[in-house]
Amino acid sequence: MKNLQLETGNQKLEEWMAKLKLAAYWAASCGGCDVAILDIHEKILDLAAAADIVFWPIAMDFKYSEVEAMPDGHIDVTLFNGAIRTSENEHLAHLLRAKSKTLVAFGSCAHIGGIPGLANLFTREEIFKRVYHEVPSMANPEKTEPEPKSTVAEGELTIPEFYNTVMTLDQVVDVDYYVPGCPPPPKQIWNVVQAIVSGKLPPKGAVIGASEKTQCDECPRKKQEKKITGFKRIATAQPDPDTCFLEQGFLCLGPVTRGGCDARCMTSGVPCRGCFGSPDGVVDMGAKAISAIASVIEAKDEAEVQRIIEQIPDTLRSFNRFGIPASLIRRKVL
Amino acid sequence: MKRISIDPITRLEGHGKIDIFLADDGSVANAYFQVPELRGFEKFVEGMPIEEVPRVVSRICGV
Repeated sequence: MKNLQLETGNQKLEEWMAKLKLAAYWAASCGGCDVAILDIHEKILDLAAAADIVFWPIAMDFKYSEVEAMPDGHIDVTLFNGAIRTSENEHLAHLLRAKSKTLVAFGSCAHIGGIPGLANLFTREEIFKRVYHEVPSMANPEKTEPEPKSTVAEGELTIPEFYNTVMTLDQVVDVDYYVPGCPPPPKQIWNVVQAIVSGKLPPKGAVIGASEKTQCDECPRKKQEKKITGFKRIATAQPDPDTCFLEQGFLCLGPVTRGGCDARCMTSGVPCRGCFGSPDGVVDMGAKAISAIASVIEAKDEAEVQRIIEQIPDTLRSFNRFGIPASLIRRKVL
Repeated sequence: MKRISIDPITRLEGHGKIDIFLADDGSVANAYFQVPELRGFEKFVEGMPIEEVPRVVSRICGV
């Protein structure tokens, strides 16, 4: 500890970081958020030297029973990634909420539902039918589907219930902070770690590790307030690498997406799909996106508007790629 | 029959648990590996424009 040189602002971390108990958990996720934490590279050593990691399935061998045995409020901060897809996800959300002083929805899935939230456009039955019976790689002559309880010769086996609806973390428990991104960029994760350890956190409910402005504010592509008369797809047209995607007619959610990732998609040659969610004050990101896109379309009459709009393929999943569970529609009608 | 549950399996991507059943002499009678997760990519990418699919299915595993 004596060798720790890390500082946040004017405050040395070493005095109180030794007491910090940190946990990270993945619910319905891909592991990318956990790997993004590891992608702070050598700074992970500062973190590990200064904080006790008490639960982190990707990296350390703690069991659920050990979390259950902790007193309430034992963990200082839990970074919870992944959406709530199953009864196990929901159980862990409640468990970690009770055990944590501060619970952070970490990454797009916990924040707004993320890619797993696209499943809300289907029912559980439709998903099971496709996954367990129809896909070409499936051989399932007994037509087995997952059951929460099954009896075998030795006893009963249980697996979690697969819910019909994917939920965000704050739809099942109280959340203190939100860190957006799919995944959150390591630079921002380090900012968040510093804010946590220095105690310099904004009021509860805030989005941290991100900008308050939009992607367009950070995007280096040239913008000229140009109107568009049609939409193109990057599969069939070549975008100019230096010009605003939207002004070239490629659908981009940059205008309605919170910044903070240094426009990592636009600088990689693909338009923004909104993984950071929207800036404060936006009620429904997809609706806001439709409004923003409508404002750049130039058309003489309604028929022309219709013709232009029809050039956007897959509008629902294009305008709500990461946030269906957090949107007003939330899911397909059951 | 005595049961040992390993829940969760750690230090890998994804969710898993193992139930091990022991016979009276302590030997392993049977063991079950269970995957308690599914997200349904097979369904929700259907009908999506092909250029969007790589950016969606890369979220199957982000490790």
